Amino acid sequence: MKLAEIVDKLALEVCGGADQVPEKEVTGGYVCDLLSYVMARAKEGYLWLTVQGHPNIVAVASLVNLAGVVVTEAAKIDPATVEKADQEGVPLLTTSLTSYELAGRLYELGVK
Amino acid sequence: MRELSLHILDMLQNSLEAGATLVELIVDEDLLADRLTITVRDNGRGMDEATLAQVTDPFFTTRKTRRVGLGIPLFKAAAEHCNGSFAITSAAGQGTTVVAAFQHSHLDRAPLGDMAGTLLSFVLGGICDVHYVHRKKQGDGKAGETAREFEFDTQKIKAELGDIPLTHPTVREWLRGFLAEGEAELAAAG
Repeated sequence: MKLAEIVDKLALEVCGGADQVPEKEVTGGYVCDLLSYVMARAKEGYLWLTVQGHPNIVAVASLVNLAGVVVTEAAKIDPATVEKADQEGVPLLTTSLTSYELAGRLYELGVK
Repeated sequence: MRELSLHILDMLQNSLEAGATLVELIVDEDLLADRLTITVRDNGRGMDEATLAQVTDPFFTTRKTRRVGLGIPLFKAAAEHCNGSFAITSAAGQGTTVVAAFQHSHLDRAPLGDMAGTLLSFVLGGICDVHYVHRKKQGDGKAGETAREFEFDTQKIKAELGDIPLTHPTVREWLRGFLAEGEAELAAAG
């Protein structure tokens, strides 16, 4: 499913890497706040849901070539994270939903 | 990371890649001050100021195979997230010192993890000597303070062993037991 469609349907707010949103295809999802787990287990094209807002999340997303990162529960995002996301072309999205709620909504949309 | 020992292993590997022949590793658990401090000091080639300024940036790495390096950034983020601090000092030709401090009781602080296994696999690599000290200080005021310490120094062990390598099956089993017991005793203490 296109990332742009997900952003639209789930009313996610794009706060970084906006120019890459129309390019990305989401092939699956992953939820975890331990970056080492994400590095080891998330797959290329996945959308990652986390409450971490540190610039390291952009590095992990770029390393694994994720479709994007959603910072859930409107958790605080460092300004440096947004800057890195723009530089690296990593879509950075936010929602006030919890990771659990958003994962459920994604599943309903057919991202499995 | 799920365990701090994994961060420590990352730092030990950085030291190896810096050509270190000796790493001093101090794990200092001060329950009175509610502090856990991990210090890794090596005698590797160190870094100049320009490199040092970049190592906490996840988009900096000396590796040629990929352009992201997360060992130091993740360790730093873990410490800072737990009401702690992170410092790295180095100079070209002078080795490197990493100090990560955590609030010992912080809910998000990962457990120390398998230090015995981490140290064993590292020293059996055989490239680098390790001087490890694990301290634990605690007390409740009435019973007074107690301080325990476990020390493991491959230089001293090698001096005792002479020509026998650390990887000799008998030595390896002894090392495994010594490390596991030393760590278990500290873990049991409080």
